[in-house]
Amino acid sequence: MFTSTYRLFKFAIQNFFRNFWLSFVTITIFILTLLTINAIIFLNLMANATLKSIEDKVEITVYFNIDASEDIAKASQGYLLGLPQVRDAVFISAEDATSDFREKHKTEPIILSSIDEVGGTPLGHAVVVSAHSPADFPFILEAIETPEFSPYIRNKDYQNYEDIIKNIETINGRIQIGGIVIAGFFGLIAIMIIFNTIRVAIYVHRDEIGIMKLVGANDWFIRGPFLLESIFYSLLATSAVMGGTFLFLGSFETQISNFFGEVNISVFNYFLDNGLLIFGSQFVVLTLLSVLTTWFAMRNYLKV
Amino acid sequence: MIKLKNVSKLYKPETQALKDVSLHIKAGEFVSIVGQSGSGKTTLAKLLFAEEKPTGGSIVIGDWDISRIRRSEIPMLRRQIGVVFQDFKLLQRKTVGENIAFALQVAGDRGKRIREVVPQVLKIVGLSDKIDRYPRQLSGGEQQRVSIARALVHRPKILVADEPTGNLDTIHSHEIIQLLKHINSYGTTIVLVTHDRDIVNALNKRVITIQEGEVASDMEHGKYKLS
Ligand SMILES: Nc1ncnc2c1ncn2[C@@H]1O[C@H](COP(=O)(O)OP(=O)(O)OP(=O)(O)O)[C@@H](O)[C@H]1O
Ligand SMILES: [Mg+2]
Repeated sequence: MFTSTYRLFKFAIQNFFRNFWLSFVTITIFILTLLTINAIIFLNLMANATLKSIEDKVEITVYFNIDASEDIAKASQGYLLGLPQVRDAVFISAEDATSDFREKHKTEPIILSSIDEVGGTPLGHAVVVSAHSPADFPFILEAIETPEFSPYIRNKDYQNYEDIIKNIETINGRIQIGGIVIAGFFGLIAIMIIFNTIRVAIYVHRDEIGIMKLVGANDWFIRGPFLLESIFYSLLATSAVMGGTFLFLGSFETQISNFFGEVNISVFNYFLDNGLLIFGSQFVVLTLLSVLTTWFAMRNYLKV
Repeated sequence: MIKLKNVSKLYKPETQALKDVSLHIKAGEFVSIVGQSGSGKTTLAKLLFAEEKPTGGSIVIGDWDISRIRRSEIPMLRRQIGVVFQDFKLLQRKTVGENIAFALQVAGDRGKRIREVVPQVLKIVGLSDKIDRYPRQLSGGEQQRVSIARALVHRPKILVADEPTGNLDTIHSHEIIQLLKHINSYGTTIVLVTHDRDIVNALNKRVITIQEGEVASDMEHGKYKLS
């Protein structure tokens, strides 16, 4: 059994090198297919992270009248924290709000002087609310308008990111569809290439195969090397893409995170954590595809 | 050993290569099959090692009815029947030793056994000193002896040779026939398909003549009768 397995591998490796250029082209096209798929995963990851960070940034600021007491504002904070849609509600005192305001406008002397004119704290207390999902904002905006708080609320400020989010989602969707089309295209070419490679391999080995049959080789001994060969292709292609991906992500990690600025994820870690799943499943699918195609090619060209 | 009963073979669409052939070849016999070109000799040989299946009738080898043999059983049969052809069918990229070892490797034999058997069969065919040569470095007769050696690796009870001397001159042909007789003397049944009148006459063994797919004559100690 061991001897036979060893020989199957030996024959498969011989096949591989005897048609080196065909093997090379086959692996190249496999790699292109996988690269497209991983590029989609990468872009999708980026888009999701961007969306997440935008969604995190969306907040409502509830400004209270100057005469509203701290108790009222704090009570509303407590009330808001009690809502399941609310992720966080932060109380900002009038003093803090004013110094924040000064800080923000420190290069604009006109504004600063007008604050000084008013004297004291020209702003009221405020509560900054963030939600679990941007879709909850309309509800939260409604909810704060209770008879208890409503009279004291001066203004509700809500930066609308909905359009941006929609845009990112649309672009991401398009990229995914485009990516799937390209991956499908490469996949199709990959199938045709592996089919042809095996066909040529069978042709090149026709004498050997004929003799094998005459001297009583088992079926699987004749088919095995071709199947193994197609598994080699998948393995080599997946390994190359996996190595390439980690090399790329590893050496450009800082550039990638700089590019995405505040988006705080490590793509490298993501691929590291899920690498086994990502590349494992790609290997399994690629292998299944090429083994099936090889089987089909053998059925057509290998008259065993 | 080999029993054919009312065997016919039709190649689609309409070539009736064999018609109602019944034969009984006993263990240890040396049988020559002769006949004109296209009479069906090769077809008969192919039926014996299941390269073709009969359209009708039955073929029994030992107690094994191979007329409806399953594909997965064919390797088993091939290891019990050695086959030799006019064109040797040696792999040019392999040495003599490797060519013979190949037949054992693909059958799953272990390295130890292969290292034993290869020199043994080479000794039988008298080519022990040529083990590391490539086929192109051998004469036609020597190449045919290599292919016979390869046919012997599984110690077959039957050796089927289809025109083994077809590509050889008289002297080499004679050597090959001597070798087949030698192998026959150990008890291996030999089925020799041939065109060669001189060989058949010199053999003085059983001769079966095929004519248009039918057995025209079957004689112990026969002579080549066709013109
Ligand atoms: N695979 C095939 N398909 C169709 N017809 C075939 C096939 N093989 C042989 N034949 C036909 O069957 C007949 C017998 O062929 P076969 O090869 O058995 O003859 P043969 O006696 O061996 O001839 P030769 O002495 O020339 O080798 C011939 O008419 C041949 O054309
Ligand atoms: Mg013939």
